Amino acid sequence: MTLTGTIGAICLFPLRNIIRISVALGIHPNVLTLTGVVINAGAGWALAMGHFETAGFVMLLANIFDFIDGKVADELNLSSRFGGFWDSVMDRFSDLFLLIGLIYLYASLGHTDYVLITALTLMFSVMTSYTRARAESIIEQCKVGFMERPERIVLFMIGAFTNRMAAVLWVILVLSVLTVLDRIYFTWRELRSTDDEATV
Amino acid sequence: MTLKQLLALPVLVVWHGLFWTFERTTWQYDLMVIAILAFVWVTPPGWLSDPMADGPGLIGLITQLFR
Repeated sequence: MTLTGTIGAICLFPLRNIIRISVALGIHPNVLTLTGVVINAGAGWALAMGHFETAGFVMLLANIFDFIDGKVADELNLSSRFGGFWDSVMDRFSDLFLLIGLIYLYASLGHTDYVLITALTLMFSVMTSYTRARAESIIEQCKVGFMERPERIVLFMIGAFTNRMAAVLWVILVLSVLTVLDRIYFTWRELRSTDDEATV
Repeated sequence: MTLKQLLALPVLVVWHGLFWTFERTTWQYDLMVIAILAFVWVTPPGWLSDPMADGPGLIGLITQLFR
């Protein structure tokens, strides 16, 4: 087993109990998704105030909801296409809350350099999701690029807990730019090959 | 492995790093995670003009030690 696989398995252990409780209570997965976003808004506020440790704990709580909603939907047989759509839309709001919080913080500190870096991170985080969603409307799958939402969220939490947010922002920005480029290139290559097949 | 393949190895490594197609929980993913964490924790915050971080970071501590 790999290092990240082991960490994932360890983290999944307590989450199973939370999933079991949510299923027993019959909480609708869409409500869990919405709860996650509301809590993430709180994390955004904590980031804006510069309370990184608090933000880390709030993000941790929010992402428990974010993680379990799909699993609860499966257990309760409530998986739906709308649920998938709702989850994706709410995820974008969560990302935006966190990054807007950081933009507010750096702006209030007078660090325009980090306002710009955070704004670019925000732009490419949204574009990472958009390129995949748009690509998968014309090709079957576009699952390339490293920086997806789970990586972003874990990095945010690491940055908050260890007070290394600037380094985290640089990593997210650079890898998000690469992810967007990967997805554009992959989609172009896939479409070119299908176009070539069509002309033969 | 031929010399040509050996010379092409660094190019392949860079290409696979840039054009990422590996799944999670693979050794390549582990390697990337270690590299990212090393950058985040080892780089002195001063190098990045981090407005919030405190402490010199691992490289900063080492350079202070040898000063």
